[in-house]
Amino acid sequence: MNALETIERRSAAAPTGLPEPSKRTFLTGRRMELFEKFPRLYWLVTRRWFQFAVVVPNLLFFYAFLIAGVFGSPVGNRNIIIIFIWILWWFALITALVPFASRVWCTVCPLPFFGDWIQRRALINVRTGRTCGLQNQMYGLNKKWPKALSNIWLQNIAFLGLCTFSAMLVTRPIVTVWVLGSLIVLAALMAGVFRGRTFCNYVCPISGFLSLFSMTSTLALRSKDLDVCAKCKTKSCSVGSDKGWACPWGIYMGKLDRNNYCGLCMECVKSCPNDNIGLFLRPAMSDTRIKGYDESWKAFIMLTLAAAYSIVLLGPYGIVKDFANVAEVGDWKGFGIYAGGLWLTALAALPAAFAACVWIGRRLAGRSDLGQKEIFLGLSYVFVPMGLLAWIAFSFPLIMINGSYILNVMSDPMGRGWDLFRTAQIHWSPILPEYVGCIQAPLLFLGAFYAIRAGYRFALEKTGTPAVAVRLAAPVSILVTAITLAFLKLFVG
Amino acid sequence: MRVMRQAMFVLVVVVLFAVAGVWANGRSADEPQTRIIHMTARQYAFEPSTIRANLGDTLVFRLQSADVMHGFYLEGHDVEAVITPQSPYVELRRPSEPDARPQKVEEIVVTADRTGKFRYRCSHTCGTMHPFMMGELVVAPNRLFIASSWGIVGLTAGLAGTALSSRKKQNGA
Ligand code: SF4
Ligand code: SF4
Ligand code: SF4
Ligand SMILES: [Cu+2]
Repeated sequence: MNALETIERRSAAAPTGLPEPSKRTFLTGRRMELFEKFPRLYWLVTRRWFQFAVVVPNLLFFYAFLIAGVFGSPVGNRNIIIIFIWILWWFALITALVPFASRVWCTVCPLPFFGDWIQRRALINVRTGRTCGLQNQMYGLNKKWPKALSNIWLQNIAFLGLCTFSAMLVTRPIVTVWVLGSLIVLAALMAGVFRGRTFCNYVCPISGFLSLFSMTSTLALRSKDLDVCAKCKTKSCSVGSDKGWACPWGIYMGKLDRNNYCGLCMECVKSCPNDNIGLFLRPAMSDTRIKGYDESWKAFIMLTLAAAYSIVLLGPYGIVKDFANVAEVGDWKGFGIYAGGLWLTALAALPAAFAACVWIGRRLAGRSDLGQKEIFLGLSYVFVPMGLLAWIAFSFPLIMINGSYILNVMSDPMGRGWDLFRTAQIHWSPILPEYVGCIQAPLLFLGAFYAIRAGYRFALEKTGTPAVAVRLAAPVSILVTAITLAFLKLFVG
Repeated sequence: MRVMRQAMFVLVVVVLFAVAGVWANGRSADEPQTRIIHMTARQYAFEPSTIRANLGDTLVFRLQSADVMHGFYLEGHDVEAVITPQSPYVELRRPSEPDARPQKVEEIVVTADRTGKFRYRCSHTCGTMHPFMMGELVVAPNRLFIASSWGIVGLTAGLAGTALSSRKKQNGA
């Protein structure tokens, strides 16, 4: 079956070594199924109009922001597009949505709206029919994305590229308009050519870090009983039915064991004839498998960027700010140093340091039968909790220092002297700025704790003996500690 | 139960490390002194970008701008000033008294009466990178930093300790 081919990479083989409860699932440990607990939630997400209803308001806001970005003040902190996207949205995304609600942003994201319509020619209803092995009538060319690009390398490079220019992106409304505008056009074009959410899966720059960090989330959509999926004749979640569209992300529920590539569109919940899909609350940092170098490198890139932004944007070093702010300063040599340093650290130096730690760990453990690649991939997960918490620590000052801008631009979204809610003139007033560090230090602590614990657990699983596991994980744990110390120095030192 | 015991153990180690770190490094040896700081603001940095002081020091800021109008907001010390180019005077206001009239002053005197890192930020929109224009005042002994960095080392040690002690139990069984 065509549609199932794309899935392979998204999921592992069936779980082994699980206890034999009445129901087999990919979730181990404590969990609570929310659809059962809150029938209204289940009712809501199974309405055909659900996604339309949550996307459209977002889409309208999005357009309003783009208009403000084009016609409003060119000064970033006086324009709603900058304040709402790079302060409010970013803060909500990284501190709340991703850690507690997985990729729920993708449920409400306005970017693929037109693309979905091009493929479906329907906003609410579902069309039955047959397209490339799916049980839905789909429009557009429905081409397959090349196998060589069926990974997140493109996203890694695109994201790093975009972030190299972030000092311009987050301070100049027009740059933000260009980037978001191009994404919306690209998403629509790609939807016309390629099947489903190829854009989301392989191109969207936001998607890369959403996929990586959604692994940490306390929310997960999973099959409630894998045996039901195994016996299921229709596989409607994957190929669609008269109740729901085929999974736009190419997922078959019987194999979905991680959050990474599920956009929580809820189509499968509607289409599954066996009511076998659950939305689970579970402990944080539950998905722990990195499945390819592309994902490891995403983790390196995210951690490096958190450090780079903490230095460039939150640090006292004017010269680095000048380097990064090349559009105004025009120092291309300086920008070259900055960009080169960033790319080299993210793509080579940090991975090399990590690879060395893995290699030393294998030596210390005396287990040369454990392959370098296997241990490298497994342990590279430590940068996921660590990176997430570093990003959260980085993001707190954004809102605590500049939160009052939100009130300003609500009254004067374009920086044109309006005063809609009488909040335009509120003086810039940071909220307890001297205590930001007291929030950041514990967050970094938590990141280090989760990272070291995850590294050890993986090592224990591989070696079976605590003493050997400690040795295998020790160098990486020391690297984690050192990086955490460096972040502490930046934030509170 | 075992998890609880392990968590308690790690927590105790972290706290012990943090307390030991602050005990060993948490006092300042120097006598309090007066530091006069000639601060120049430019797009988008302050010079000096970092000021190190000790608890009890008196800091006298003389502010000037090398280009456009800037602000000077010192976290945790109730200071906010507007710096005008080519003027030795700044307009000082206290964020805690939003309705009071700003005063024209030549220097701003601050007592370093709390420890830690306090950023001084531009508070007057001065261009694209304005929100990120800042410098750092670090007042020693920086207890938060000492405690948290020793605590991190304690965390690593504590976690290693719990892992290794679980071996003993396995061997004993
Ligand atoms: S992957 Fe990107 S474009 Fe797709 S829904 Fe998520 S954020 Fe939006
Ligand atoms: S349609 Fe339902 S039961 Fe069938 S494979 Fe999908 S989730 Fe499992
Ligand atoms: S159809 Fe289901 S599995 Fe596929 S993206 Fe939507 S919610 Fe996730
Ligand atoms: Cu300024």
